[in-house]
Amino acid sequence: MSAPKGARAGERGPDRADLLAMLYTMKLTRALEERIERRLYRQGKIVGGVYVGRGQEAISVGAGMHIRRTGDPARDDVVFPSHRDMAVFLMQGIEPRRVLAQYMGRRTGPTRGRDGNMHMGDMTHRVVSFISHLGDTIPVAAGCALTFRMHGTDQVCFAFFGDGTTSRGDWHSGVNLAAVQRLPVVFICNNNQYAYSTPLARQMAVARVADRAVGYGIPGESVDGNDVLAVHDAVGRAVARARAGVGPTLVEGVTFRMTGHSAHDDAGYVPDATLEEWRGRDPIARFAGQLETRGLVDRAGLVELDRRIEQEIDTAVGGAESDPWPAPEECLEGVYHGTGGDAWR
Amino acid sequence: MKRSGAKATIDLAGLYPGPARPIANPGLTRDQLLEIHRLLRLNRIVEDKLSALYRQGHITGGFFSSLGQEAISVGTAFALRPDDPLAPMIRNIGSVLARGVTPGDLFLQYLARRDGPTRGRDGTLHFGNVERFALIGPISHLGTLIPVMAGAALAARMRGEDRVALTYIGDGGTSTGDFHEGFNLAAVLRLPLILVVENNGYAYSTPLPRQVAIASFAEKGPAYGVAAESVDGTDVLAVYAATRRAADRGRRGEGPTLLECRAFRMKGHAEHDDMRYVPKDLIEAWKNRDPIDRFEAFLVAEGHLRRADLETAAATLSRGVDAAAETALAAPLPEPHEALGGVLCEPGFEKPWWPA
Repeated sequence: MSAPKGARAGERGPDRADLLAMLYTMKLTRALEERIERRLYRQGKIVGGVYVGRGQEAISVGAGMHIRRTGDPARDDVVFPSHRDMAVFLMQGIEPRRVLAQYMGRRTGPTRGRDGNMHMGDMTHRVVSFISHLGDTIPVAAGCALTFRMHGTDQVCFAFFGDGTTSRGDWHSGVNLAAVQRLPVVFICNNNQYAYSTPLARQMAVARVADRAVGYGIPGESVDGNDVLAVHDAVGRAVARARAGVGPTLVEGVTFRMTGHSAHDDAGYVPDATLEEWRGRDPIARFAGQLETRGLVDRAGLVELDRRIEQEIDTAVGGAESDPWPAPEECLEGVYHGTGGDAWR
Repeated sequence: MKRSGAKATIDLAGLYPGPARPIANPGLTRDQLLEIHRLLRLNRIVEDKLSALYRQGHITGGFFSSLGQEAISVGTAFALRPDDPLAPMIRNIGSVLARGVTPGDLFLQYLARRDGPTRGRDGTLHFGNVERFALIGPISHLGTLIPVMAGAALAARMRGEDRVALTYIGDGGTSTGDFHEGFNLAAVLRLPLILVVENNGYAYSTPLPRQVAIASFAEKGPAYGVAAESVDGTDVLAVYAATRRAADRGRRGEGPTLLECRAFRMKGHAEHDDMRYVPKDLIEAWKNRDPIDRFEAFLVAEGHLRRADLETAAATLSRGVDAAAETALAAPLPEPHEALGGVLCEPGFEKPWWPA
């Protein structure tokens, strides 16, 4: 795939190539997750659960455009995606085939068949593994940002999480530490309005997740999370603050989870009318429409893009399915230092 | 581009006390004012005695003084009804005295005597008494009492009782995860919880600017969608009045309140700590804000008491405290075999979980 280029840190808006890369990544994410959740999972080919970010693609893509990717570990930003940020993995260069191999428990996946779904990371791509316990990545991200400051670099950490996570103690401790130490972290909330079956009003007594920022003495900004350009703008400002050493920012993208908590959940507790309303705000259709209006794409181009993406996924699925399973004896690798897991630093 | 990796110096300017506003009576009777005074003075005398006992090697474990913060314990506890669930923290001797725990019981506890509240199993303020005083015992792990007291407030509401629950946390404890989870839950469910943040400037040796990036804990109120207020924690009547407002809100079903009380920890974290990390002039500045001196000056100026009355009252209290300490010192320690009692639920160790 043609990975989007490195960040321009909000210095100016995205150029034509950036815009097309954003559309492509959003569409690829949607199609790849659709394939995993609606086909491969139901065919019994997925090991474990499936958690997708359908309807939320604009947040990870809008934010992900600002991640600095130079190939130099002393310059690159580091990301802490949540389980609904497939686009971030793709943008960091983890190929669809490896993502699929992960879901299918193959030896070629980032965890070499040891874990499933988005519980994966790869430090060669500056992706820190998602920690299943929600909120626990936040102090880790703060610690990572602290190392950047101690080394005197202008690298930035991108930490993603959901609305439910913001009620967790570790989230609080981590955000507070980052605020006190003015660490270069951008906190990005996918506010999809449901934490499993708990609606937002049962999660917090404030209207916006961004309202929580004032309690930490940091700026909080709430944007339309289905508007990829609005997310791009807001995260650009936050990244600029972080790189300049001013401190962290809490950016909230207000969106909606257009599926169940995971593939087994029919989300019967979500009112149909709410889903219907949000279907009309689909971030991909909206962005494609904007680009069409601006003359950057046309109908035929969009059809061709979808076709190309389906083909890319077909190839990736075929590849992952032909990938080997781990051999039983491999499960001991990487348990201790020096036994084959040394890429993890 | 390189950022500076240099360490920032810590700006402590915000820790110095501003000018004090005069103490004002929110409508308390003379008897109430004198009772508040008795509790403040008793708090200090008991702790002075505990400090002496610690230095003599009689105290089992640590001693955490509330010197300079007495008005927070007394003002908040005095503003509650006796049946409101109250959970003190380690520096709230004044709160338990206000509930009716005697100095004698406190000495038995601190001296780990068999007839003390925990029967010699724990020291310091680590005890509760739900049955008699609606007191829920502190949990050593900072912040962990907050979800518990949110639960107490929820229990009151589910039982259709108009009680409010109150607990304390220090400035440092606000950074713990349990603070966040417990207080957020109280906010979402609009529970009648009063969370008193005793901002005494230091969490052990960590000064406030290294603890939070805000100037006042009242700024956390809007972040949780709850009422918040910041008061002078060396003015016992200001603390009382703010707690009453918070309790009234809670009883009306208007949810929790975060009440910051600003004071200063005039001793080390505990008795063993010489707090050499605190600038001398910072301590000096707060000496002029002694909560008991201030309240006594108010009582004299308002004509409630004469200077001589204050000395008589203190001497009477001291005699009682000395006698209680002597009694406790002479009281028996637990026998080794008693250590097994109360580990499991068994007759003689049952405790009610809810105050009458």
